[in-house]
Amino acid sequence: MSIPNDLKYTKEHEWLRLEGDIATFGVSEHAQEALGDIVFVELPELETELDAGAAIAVVESVKAVSDVYVPVAGEVIETNEELETEPELINSDPYGRGWIAKMKVSTDVDTSTLMDATAYQALLNQ
Amino acid sequence: MELKQTALYAQHLELGGKMVPFAGFSMPVQYKQGALKEYHCVRGGDGCGLFDISHMGQVRVSGADALSFLQYVTTNDVSQLVDGQVQYAALLDDNAGFIDDITVYRINGQHYYLCINAANVEKDVTHLTKHAANFDVQVNDESQKTALLAVQGVDAQKLLQDICDHDLEKISYYHFAKVKLLGQDVLVSRTGYTGEDGFELYLPNSDAVAVWTSLIESGATAIGLAARDMLRTEMGYALYGHEIHAAITPVESALMWICKPTKGHFIGRDALLQRKEKGKKWHKIALKLNGRGVPREHYAVFAGEEEVGKVTSGLFSPLAGGGVALVYVKPEYKDADLSIDIRGRKISTQRTTTPFVRSRVKK
Repeated sequence: MSIPNDLKYTKEHEWLRLEGDIATFGVSEHAQEALGDIVFVELPELETELDAGAAIAVVESVKAVSDVYVPVAGEVIETNEELETEPELINSDPYGRGWIAKMKVSTDVDTSTLMDATAYQALLNQ
Repeated sequence: MELKQTALYAQHLELGGKMVPFAGFSMPVQYKQGALKEYHCVRGGDGCGLFDISHMGQVRVSGADALSFLQYVTTNDVSQLVDGQVQYAALLDDNAGFIDDITVYRINGQHYYLCINAANVEKDVTHLTKHAANFDVQVNDESQKTALLAVQGVDAQKLLQDICDHDLEKISYYHFAKVKLLGQDVLVSRTGYTGEDGFELYLPNSDAVAVWTSLIESGATAIGLAARDMLRTEMGYALYGHEIHAAITPVESALMWICKPTKGHFIGRDALLQRKEKGKKWHKIALKLNGRGVPREHYAVFAGEEEVGKVTSGLFSPLAGGGVALVYVKPEYKDADLSIDIRGRKISTQRTTTPFVRSRVKK
């Protein structure tokens, strides 16, 4: 199972890529596999300010509806509109073209509650 | 309670089946390649799908009074059947609520075979056995020893013909024959739950693995419960526990076509006629979302600000190109502008008809 080393992870199986004050996130390989074929993604509104842990998006597979939570606090500045017509990108490329949204975060954003790849792998092994 | 396994449990694991509890059984919700690909294998117009539906129940009804017994317990007119024909029917309670929806196979005038829903086996058998006491008839539950496979899709007949001694072309829609598959006795009917041409195969558990393996090897794709539910919902077929249950009668569920009150008395007949005269409590309609989203069971249906109904089944339909739903609304709202509440947002809909996509059953 793919767990890129340069990302942070949540126990709800979101991933986060932090580049300066921009955080991109999506759901992990494990999450997409557990959900199965994704047929619909409800994206957040731009400029929404969210606290860490808030529900930001909804991912629906053939059989299940699942909330996606923002790993860190910030403001939504971009959403992946490709997912409106190709929700299956989350299945085929969860860490790449299947990203869900970008947020502007403060430069001293707290990522201490997030896991690195090793810790996330350990969680999956449990 | 420990989950039961069908005779094909090991085959499901081997194909990467994701096993889930369903009607007391551990059943594959999907296999390795996922529900959408499985769906397209059946609906796509080439290939075919293979379904293990051995969780479903089978009841043999035999004896001098078999016909009059079935006339009494089922809604449809069993006397219209000829040997080798299948009929869709309902078992109703005294209030005309559904106990189950079933298919009735006429082997001969004193010998019938019923296929019933997995979740209802115990309830149905108890009900049938109780009423059988007044007839010269035997009711035998054969669910445990019987495997049931469905082969559905344009290649179904071709694949099956290769291992069958009987000319399948001679079995027309809702008919069956006793044939040999790989030399073993199998009851084959041209029936299904997908809207595609295809067959259902009733066989002893001991023969299931050989037939399953042979069909997989000749190119059939294993199909799980998720794709099966997509296929049946696209056809608008009722599913027990969703569109039909004890609080719903055939009047609401648009299943009066399987009720023949003129045939004489049957259980639920009086209540059914009363309901028909007084008017239905709910009206079943089909809706397609105008906006994006997936309507799901239990979502509320609104006319303006008023909640007027519920979704009973819904899905993202690849062929219909969006969210579609089977819905019960209060009858006075059946022609209103309706929306479906999806997580607090009311998504507008348009009325449509079922099937949501074209059926290819060979009538």
